[in-house]
Amino acid sequence: MTPIPPPEDDTLRQHSFDGIQEFDKRLPNWWLMTLYGAIIFWVGYWAYFQWFHVGLDGPQEVTREMSKIEAARLAAAPTTDNTSLWKMSRNPVFIEAGRTTFNTLCASCHTEKLTGAIGPNLVDQLWIHGGTPIEIYATMEKGVLAKGMPAWVPVIGAKKSAEAVAYILSFHKEGERIEMQAAWIPQAPK
Amino acid sequence: MSDQKITIEFNDKVVRQFLLASVIWGAVGMVVGTLVAAQLNYWQVNFNLPWLTFGRLRPLHTNAVIFAFVGNMMFAGIYYSTQRLVKARLASDFLSQLHFWGWQLIIVAAAITLPLGFSRGKEYAELIWPINIAVTLIWVVFAVNFFWTLAKRREPSLYVAIWFYIATIITVAMLYIVNHLSIPTGLLHSYPVFGGVQDALVQWWYGHNAVAFFLTTPILGVMYYFLPKAAERPVYSYRLSVIHFWSLVFVYIWAGPHHLLNSALPGWLQNLGMTFSLMLWAPSWGGMLNGLLTLRGAWDKLRTDPVLKFFAAAVTFYGMCTFEGPLLSIKSVNALGHYTDWIIGHVHGGTLGWNGFMAAGMIYWLLPRLWSRPLHSISLANLHFWLGTVGILLYVGAMWTSGITQGVMLNATTEGGTLLAYPNFLDTLNTIRPMMLMRVIGGSLYLVGWFLLIYNLWKTIATAHPVNGTIEVFADEGTVVHEDKITLVGTFLNPPVAFSIFGVGFSCAWMFGGDFLSIAGMFGLLLCVVLAYAHFESRGKKWATWYDRLLVNSVPFTILVVIAVAVGGLVQIIPTVLVNRGANLEERRQLLYTPLELAGRDIFVSEGCYNCHSQMIRTLVPDVLRYGDYSRLGESIYDHPFQWGSKRTGPDLARVGSKYPNIWHLRHMEDPRSISVGSNMPNYPWLFTLTTDLAALPGKIAVQRLLGVPYPSWTDAAIAADFVYQSKIIANDLQTAGAVIAPDKQIVALIAYLQKLGKYETVVPQSSTAR
Repeated sequence: MTPIPPPEDDTLRQHSFDGIQEFDKRLPNWWLMTLYGAIIFWVGYWAYFQWFHVGLDGPQEVTREMSKIEAARLAAAPTTDNTSLWKMSRNPVFIEAGRTTFNTLCASCHTEKLTGAIGPNLVDQLWIHGGTPIEIYATMEKGVLAKGMPAWVPVIGAKKSAEAVAYILSFHKEGERIEMQAAWIPQAPK
Repeated sequence: MSDQKITIEFNDKVVRQFLLASVIWGAVGMVVGTLVAAQLNYWQVNFNLPWLTFGRLRPLHTNAVIFAFVGNMMFAGIYYSTQRLVKARLASDFLSQLHFWGWQLIIVAAAITLPLGFSRGKEYAELIWPINIAVTLIWVVFAVNFFWTLAKRREPSLYVAIWFYIATIITVAMLYIVNHLSIPTGLLHSYPVFGGVQDALVQWWYGHNAVAFFLTTPILGVMYYFLPKAAERPVYSYRLSVIHFWSLVFVYIWAGPHHLLNSALPGWLQNLGMTFSLMLWAPSWGGMLNGLLTLRGAWDKLRTDPVLKFFAAAVTFYGMCTFEGPLLSIKSVNALGHYTDWIIGHVHGGTLGWNGFMAAGMIYWLLPRLWSRPLHSISLANLHFWLGTVGILLYVGAMWTSGITQGVMLNATTEGGTLLAYPNFLDTLNTIRPMMLMRVIGGSLYLVGWFLLIYNLWKTIATAHPVNGTIEVFADEGTVVHEDKITLVGTFLNPPVAFSIFGVGFSCAWMFGGDFLSIAGMFGLLLCVVLAYAHFESRGKKWATWYDRLLVNSVPFTILVVIAVAVGGLVQIIPTVLVNRGANLEERRQLLYTPLELAGRDIFVSEGCYNCHSQMIRTLVPDVLRYGDYSRLGESIYDHPFQWGSKRTGPDLARVGSKYPNIWHLRHMEDPRSISVGSNMPNYPWLFTLTTDLAALPGKIAVQRLLGVPYPSWTDAAIAADFVYQSKIIANDLQTAGAVIAPDKQIVALIAYLQKLGKYETVVPQSSTAR
């Protein structure tokens, strides 16, 4: 193999390996700047987080952010007493919003007709964790973790939860009979 | 020098063997890859068969392309080029054959055991312990054969390709052995000696550097030989080779923790991982520059020569991926990209683009030289190139889009940042389905290209005769003159090495020392930099002369490589392993698994659930909103192996325990879509018929105790009684819920395990906190 002769300002190293020759060109400045820049960044970043401890670490940061979120949630929570929830359950705006939430999240266990499958029936008069509006809301707030009912309020927020409760209540009437049921026997969804 | 000449015939037989093996295993790895890609979009192609399920086949895909395809290609390239670069035949024909057949046997063993569900549960380190031992032995055979050949070399000076081969052999051995340390519980199963965060750190020190020293450094060596050969141009810059080689092998090792950013890994390790990844950018691009700029003056050949096309594209993809890597290592970028398809796109840019195209270029260049017949069809090779390139672009483009889309959706909040915009994980999964389909199409194009290579290869060699290369050398060529020999003292007592050692020492003092040490370290580091600069400016020639001398001394060279690659791991792993894991756990300690739960965990590992489900809630608001409180170190401290995961095709499972009733899990494993509409998870019908291995539990628990998991010294009968008791409770609960299942079935054990995830006890914090 005969390499093409290099331009004048190029010097080849004397030695060749199996016919492979090597120039010995200067390193490009932009390449050197990238290397030095990254090294300087390392020094600065380490000093900021690990030496002077100015920057917050992951746990500190997320704890701070989560308390802000908690505060915002508390400030924005709607009124969830029996009277307001019953009122909402007669308002088509709330019912429609609640239906959307219910069908997205709740219907996989309770079915779109609310007649129950994995989770209990919500249109009959039998209740396991209480059938008054605030009791239903409380079930959504705390969940029934052992039975697989997630705590929804932290996930979807107080507003959507209240709407979903209103949607469930729209199948009921105020003053309706409430019977307590011991447990629901889950069935495979149809 | 005597004028008596002798002819050496190279051992090109083993090169041909490795080359053909690479081509065949490459096809297998890519076919499996296309299948698993299809499975992600069409769950039906899991076929409800255990050995064809994604969780078991994905490890087969990764192991096949890394160790079988690139491994065999690397061995072919190393053996071909080394013999010519050192003017010597491979030291031992027997070792060469042992290396070849041993490696193929290992691959066959892997291809059988992985689909059967025998797995260590650690990515790219899934193979079971007997195969680990075989890999280690065969690697030693390779090392002996290689270094023995170096010892017999007639070319005193080591070319840059050889530096990369040395670094590869040393570092892969180190990484592989440490990450595969485990204690067997039987012939086919073992537990890794490290657990929890230690296992996570060791795993990603290995995983990251397997990419570095199995998929990068040997291929850079191959590039430094084959690219200038094919271009018939001198290498662009020798000094760039020197700088980028040493900076690459030193810095790479430190960057492993960038796989664990924003996790429970201690902050100092995360910060090391991120900053060293950024420092890795320039050294990586040094390799790309030396490759691309070597092509200057030969660009016109690209139009006609498919070999150069492949090489130029491969080096470009290398540059692209090594820019993307540091980018993804920035914590905030990682918060978006990690656990998504972006990472899948990133690694495939590397494997399909860099490794696959380097392999193709090398193979097309070698075929006429190993079989003495011109390539059957240049135009087919060109077609292969274009199919492959379009395939990669479709694949990588789809994965970028997919990863960023899903990342943005998963992180999106609403109602003033207080709620997730997409609380249902499946909404995000089903948004990226078109991109999943695009990946299958891109991958298939690449696969078709590979089949063209096989056809071309077959037509070229079917009727050709193999030929072995020869070289004429002087009988006494290559003896190193005495003045050039470097002693052990001389290896260290010279400006470049001394300044480097002091620089690293002072840096560590600054980073990890207390108040005084930190300040002293910073001053020392600055002084060291200034002195080194001054010395280099005034006596730079000495540095160059010493390095030229080092290159004819293979043992001192190798010693320096060992030190350069060992430092990063020592600094990161030793403190983490020494921390008393019972003490500093961020105030939480996971509850021990009961025998049934442990059995369930082994099923989880065996089925490869970790390929799609993480168990690590990061210190990020969207993670906490979606999955609950962020994961603490103590919550996985007894997990051998750790299961933090690296990809979320499905949701995180760290706190899934008690979230759903038992029946939910049963129905979900039976048919995920009956519960989660739109899920792409396979069905697991065999878990309902296979029996949990109760007999193995006493042995497994004994090994766990040996590893420091504080199990009481139960008798075998006590273990069996506990197992039966708990499995009956679950089976009864399932029966109440309407599902009749025998308590000894695997599904019961798996449910027991899943219901335990996220259970911990609070521990009083200790006053001593380790960094």
